[in-house]
Amino acid sequence: MPAKNHYAFVIDVTRCIDCRACLVACSVENNVPMDHTRIWVHDQGVQGIWPGLSRVFVPYNCMHCDYPPCTEVCVSGATYKDTASGLVLVDQEACIGCGYCVEACPYGVRYIDQKRGVVDKCNACVQRLQVGLQPACVATCVGKSRLFGDLNDPTSEVSIALRNAKSVTRLDYEKGEVDTDPNIYYLNLPETDSIQSSDPFGQVVQTSLPRDPHYTVSEQGWKKVAIPLMALACGGAFLVQAIFFTKQLLEGEKEFED
Amino acid sequence: MPKTVISRRDFLKLGGAAASVFAVGQFIPPPVAASAHQAGSLDDNGSGYICTICEMCVWRCGVRAKVVEERVVKLEGNPEHPHSHGRLCARGQSGLMNTYDPDRVLTPLIRVGKRGEGKFRQASWSEALDMVAENMLKIKSTYGPETMVFSSTHNLSQPLFENLLYGFGSPNYGTQRSLCFNAMIVANLITYGMEEPARDYSQLQYLILTGRNLTEAISTSETTDLVDSIARGAKVVYIDPRFTKTASKASEWLPIRPGTDLAFHLAMINVIISEKLYNQIFVEKYTLGFDQLTSIVSTFTPEWAANLTGLDADVIQRIAREFAAAAPYALAHNGWRTSNFINSFPTERAIAILNALVGNWGVTMFPSAGEGGGGLGSPPQPPYPRISAQRLDGVPWKYPFVPLKIGVFQQLRDSIVDEQPYPAHGWFISRQNPVLSLPDRKKTLEAFKKMDFIVTMDILMNDTGWFSDIVLPEASYLERYDPLVSMGDQIFIRQPVIEPQGEAKSALWVYKELGTRLGLADFFQYKDEEDYINQQLAPTGLSLDELRLHGSVKVPSTEETNIYQWSTPSGKIELFSDALQKENFDPIPVWQGPPQPKAGEFYLLTGKVGQHTQFGTQNNQLLHKYEDEPRLWMAADAAQNLGLKDGDMVEVTSPVGSVKVALEVTSAIRSDCVYLTPGFGHLSMALRTAYGVGASDSELHVTYTDPISGGQALSQTFVSVKKA
Repeated sequence: MPAKNHYAFVIDVTRCIDCRACLVACSVENNVPMDHTRIWVHDQGVQGIWPGLSRVFVPYNCMHCDYPPCTEVCVSGATYKDTASGLVLVDQEACIGCGYCVEACPYGVRYIDQKRGVVDKCNACVQRLQVGLQPACVATCVGKSRLFGDLNDPTSEVSIALRNAKSVTRLDYEKGEVDTDPNIYYLNLPETDSIQSSDPFGQVVQTSLPRDPHYTVSEQGWKKVAIPLMALACGGAFLVQAIFFTKQLLEGEKEFED
Repeated sequence: MPKTVISRRDFLKLGGAAASVFAVGQFIPPPVAASAHQAGSLDDNGSGYICTICEMCVWRCGVRAKVVEERVVKLEGNPEHPHSHGRLCARGQSGLMNTYDPDRVLTPLIRVGKRGEGKFRQASWSEALDMVAENMLKIKSTYGPETMVFSSTHNLSQPLFENLLYGFGSPNYGTQRSLCFNAMIVANLITYGMEEPARDYSQLQYLILTGRNLTEAISTSETTDLVDSIARGAKVVYIDPRFTKTASKASEWLPIRPGTDLAFHLAMINVIISEKLYNQIFVEKYTLGFDQLTSIVSTFTPEWAANLTGLDADVIQRIAREFAAAAPYALAHNGWRTSNFINSFPTERAIAILNALVGNWGVTMFPSAGEGGGGLGSPPQPPYPRISAQRLDGVPWKYPFVPLKIGVFQQLRDSIVDEQPYPAHGWFISRQNPVLSLPDRKKTLEAFKKMDFIVTMDILMNDTGWFSDIVLPEASYLERYDPLVSMGDQIFIRQPVIEPQGEAKSALWVYKELGTRLGLADFFQYKDEEDYINQQLAPTGLSLDELRLHGSVKVPSTEETNIYQWSTPSGKIELFSDALQKENFDPIPVWQGPPQPKAGEFYLLTGKVGQHTQFGTQNNQLLHKYEDEPRLWMAADAAQNLGLKDGDMVEVTSPVGSVKVALEVTSAIRSDCVYLTPGFGHLSMALRTAYGVGASDSELHVTYTDPISGGQALSQTFVSVKKA
């Protein structure tokens, strides 16, 4: 059954200045432990030949996938796709902290809060949505790069932004049975080969954070999917560039509604 | 944590004792929550949003602070505030961590060890303030009031700070501004008769940013305006030896040779005049000295500038044409931290003139709304005593064009060391960290040795406090009232959203208490902070509660003023300045080549990152969490020549100092430059988050002062680099 709302992030990478206001806002709003983060700005580093240099910043967090691999592996049912909002949420009362979902997420956006013994990740600040506020990262975004809203509502800011976009990209992950259909829509993301790095977290997450910036690929069992976002983007296992233009998107939306 | 430092636990243990001793105040502000509840900001449970003003930098964004049971849990931008439009940068978002920093100084501290050892004992306010007053009065009676130096910068309690120093009878007023934007301020005063004209991005189509790294040196609303303009299709030309984040957003990046921005802008003027691309009607009607300008700049051709700047002549020519064609929807931004070389003043003059030539006044540039006004009152006070002593910082006797309230801070420090024209004996420092901000840190510590007495007021044990005799704990910006500020037709309030931590007190309270002990009670005629604000509000008829609830109120706007009048001697925009000529300075900017590094040396560049403000935020754990490790940038070919690789520890040596820091090999910088993030390399071991992180740029910076604006030439230090 389609969700009542179809919440999604729309992120214009040309507007992201990597100021990290979103990161701090998220940390404060959600009491994220000092050694963890729920959201990132991926920095591909300075590219090109002097003086024709370029640098692109790609903010990301939980993609709130339509088909999230994390819910499949959750043994307690704590991680679920919320039918009302379309968000992927964690019921931390039910979570036993086994960490399967952390490994299952192809985007590496979940962490175990050791103190509480539960898994945590972006929940689109549901506590704010409930009182009519935007997620903390969106509300404070200095470059207005981050937008959030309901794609089922054609008058929402996100729907309008997608309709007017020159290019829309999703970082879709497809491998074997898995096809995530993520709900972060990137506007103006450059071509695939310019977004490549084996070190997707290096620029943003400090060494004091437990997440090893030099991610290694595990080959054991279902952990095969535990591969970082950008590393695979250049490796080719992602069906990365689901680039579709406004018209195609609208057609897609139509299909979805039907 | 070093044993010499008093731990937070010790502080807490002493909290009760200190509280019982604490009876010095004639007033205790009513509990914050009660006032906020009365104003309608908090509900019956003490939860809700309180509006105030950010102080994580000097931009002063409007803030809505979410308070739950007397704790501030989240900060939001105030949508009604013109500087935030509902958004806060990383620093603004992290502000509550400054207040809840475990390293906060929570009681007055009196030094018990040697200076710089970090050994202090706790004291009551009455003991500490008595001791401060006693020392200041002793210095006054023994050596004269002018031997007491006062320094503080750009904060809302500045008028009361000025009462303290001028009431005391000292002319020696240090601000940080000569380490920042003196060149821009003085150039605008000469050209436009105002410190900094306002910029308007709403119709902007063409922007030249000369080192104005707006996406990292963030002024929230202006940064948003820039990103909006780019998204709208405005062309942005960004000039900087570094490929900064702003460069990555610009339409065109010009990696200019450091110190040659003046040549670029003179060539721009040359093209615009020689090709008659200027706005003839505007120039004739509103400017002075066009003919002299024309003859002076005739030799500054793009070909001439190409040799100096390392840019192509045809690129300079094209940009000049594009800029003029886009006018009046064009703007050459005058920058922010503009004091880079001793030729920064003529550079800023050239930028100011470039704008005037294309007639963008009233379209992308306007008179600054300015602070002050708004019909606010103030408590009565007597005139200041007559002060006849010369200022140690050379204003105006050595630097005639530098405003008194801005000063030349590095000269003040040098005069203290040289004891010329007279020695100084005491230093009162409020919310400032000269040990890290002034160039040549060793020399600043030398100046400290000349002092009989140093007192520092701050929320943390900053590096200056670490070398002080007494440290006074100020309430953070979320814990205190400051005097109201008006901007345009709006009045804004900074008000406490929670009670102060420990025994921290507002500057309004401290200055009054100290002033009273110094016999200056007449300069502080207010009962408490609210009384001060009520006296400000009295002539407006506005209520404090209304202001408290909304954070700002609109006052009836004053009558329309003619924007085509400038407060210059001629009343016009002065391309030619008679005032400069009278002091034997060039009345029209001409090329002055700054010194260049010798072979094997690099320009040492500094410049902000989006997560920190100057020297005061490095201990904030939330910013530390998301900051980049502050490393020394070096171009790949330069590193290869020196046999260095990414991550190596290197020793950086300047004529005045040496630091060790990790190397970052990058393609984002010219081969003749290195870059160091400023504000790190703290000396205070009480800053447990920041201590040991990065290296200090002030340890390396050589003191060079621009003779006209008094600005410290912050990029004129040359360093050598070798493997540590």
